[in-house]
Amino acid sequence: MIRSINAVKAPLRRLLMTKSHLEVPSYGKVIQGSKYTPEYAQYLRLPNGEVGSFFHDVPLDLDREQQTVNMVVEISRWTNAKFEISRNRPFNPIIQDQKNGKVRFVDNIFPSHGFIHNYGAIPQTWEDPTVESSHEGVRGIKGDNDPLDCCEIGSSVLSMGDVKKVKILGSLALIDNGELDWKVLVIDVNDPLASKINNIDDIEIHFPNLLEATRNWFRDYKIPTGKPPNEFAFDGQYRGLTETMNVIQECHGSWRKLLRDSETNDSLPQIVRAGSGVVIKPEELPDAPVPKAVGTWHFIKKEKD
Amino acid sequence: MVYTTRQIGAKNTLDYKVYIEENGKPISSFHDIPLYADEANQIFNMVVEIPRWTNAKLEVSKEETLNPIIQDTKKGKLRYVRNCFPHHGYIHNYGAFPQTWEDPNSIHPETKAAGDNDPLDVLEIGETIGYTGQVKQVKVLGVMALLDEGETDWKVIVIDINDPLAPKLNDIEDVEKYFPGLLRATNEWFRIYKIPDGKPENQFAFSGEAKNKKYALDVIRECSDAWKNLIQGKSDVKGIELTNTTLSGTSTYSPSAGSAVAAAEQKEDAPVDKSVDKWFFISGSA
Repeated sequence: MIRSINAVKAPLRRLLMTKSHLEVPSYGKVIQGSKYTPEYAQYLRLPNGEVGSFFHDVPLDLDREQQTVNMVVEISRWTNAKFEISRNRPFNPIIQDQKNGKVRFVDNIFPSHGFIHNYGAIPQTWEDPTVESSHEGVRGIKGDNDPLDCCEIGSSVLSMGDVKKVKILGSLALIDNGELDWKVLVIDVNDPLASKINNIDDIEIHFPNLLEATRNWFRDYKIPTGKPPNEFAFDGQYRGLTETMNVIQECHGSWRKLLRDSETNDSLPQIVRAGSGVVIKPEELPDAPVPKAVGTWHFIKKEKD
Repeated sequence: MVYTTRQIGAKNTLDYKVYIEENGKPISSFHDIPLYADEANQIFNMVVEIPRWTNAKLEVSKEETLNPIIQDTKKGKLRYVRNCFPHHGYIHNYGAFPQTWEDPNSIHPETKAAGDNDPLDVLEIGETIGYTGQVKQVKVLGVMALLDEGETDWKVIVIDINDPLAPKLNDIEDVEKYFPGLLRATNEWFRIYKIPDGKPENQFAFSGEAKNKKYALDVIRECSDAWKNLIQGKSDVKGIELTNTTLSGTSTYSPSAGSAVAAAEQKEDAPVDKSVDKWFFISGSA
């Protein structure tokens, strides 16, 4: 019986795959609680109606030829709330990160307002915190225990929970608190400029100064909370397309290993994903107010050189 | 004085109007709010039109009775300023000084340009995001002379007196000290903000330099005098609606004008066109 269903589905799947660099299936969202409270959670709803995991159930769909991959949007450009895919909660909803029991907002570092990209994660990837990287240039550094981060630079403001097919352009190797935290730069394949932008150099041509602003942003964004500037591997140089796709592939490998190892190791993120037939009802409540201090612009004094 | 606001129509529509009220009655945001909140201490009232990091070009209406704040239009469409990288919307709380007027009939001796026929523009740099129709008490720090399409368009730089940094800011050089890069960003913002619409770069008088507090106070005084002539009928009114509810010596005094204003409406914001989200990258601007 199962075999016959697969036999019927196969040609359809192949048809979908030919367009896979342009489209992703119609995922939905299930929202619970008030935005900007610890109770808020946004779950992935699969096309069949059951709840899935942003981390484990959205396919990677890495296409090295088209240089595309899937992205889950966590944070819209020009906003401050630090939303992220929960690594530990069943079905990995998007929740707001907390610090000392309070929901977390990033500070505005002049001249930036909030995040300067549509920020998110690459599903089915994992920066392994248990293993020292063997990747040339970041050898010996352990991962940050999260899916790979990515920064989408297109002209539209994307929404939390959007699943986008994006074009891979390059990456920056941030060292955050001693952990490896790659930032993959991408552009939505449906952006009007996507066909013209193929690599880091093209970003500088079409988005002048964005690369420098991006590096400064990640370097400085924790300074107002009293932390030192972040550091980068490779002297802060952007890494090219092939290397970036290798990193994605490696982190996908780490994720596959996580799937196996988490079954026997409780200290690893535990995996609860689609296939369990669970349906979650939306229980969205009105947004909570954003604290006034989130409107503050922080001016960082430059060292005189 | 405690002022409140009365909203009519949904934000991001042609119907949107914000009146400023005194004791629950609409007054003119242009003519009825005194320029000075405390003249002896040089504290001014500012009317906030546009909150920082937003795009809708909201302004005190010159034509409508009691001068509510409305969204500017161009060819019948609502006007939004473009985002020019690295900026998002306006980078200050933007607004105007009540009871001031940049007289289009007079040429400024130093900028050699005529006024733009609007109340004097104000850039408030404090840490709190304002709201449309807010009346803030502010301290003056300096002024920049934008030449916008050939007209003098002074931008007075101020800070809310309740801002934690306000006691430390007394003149223009303190702005660079406590807000490093902000004056340069302000200069860049006004030079390039119309480029995405196909217009040339704007120019500043004085090579783009900000003038100090003393100079700013002189500009305010001139614009205050120009408004006095306007409200007393001594100037060509240039289509400006002068109805007011507090200035009993003027021919346009109408204490009950506010009762003709519609009741407040709690309307949800209309959606903003997606094109407003675009970030424009202008090479060579930084």
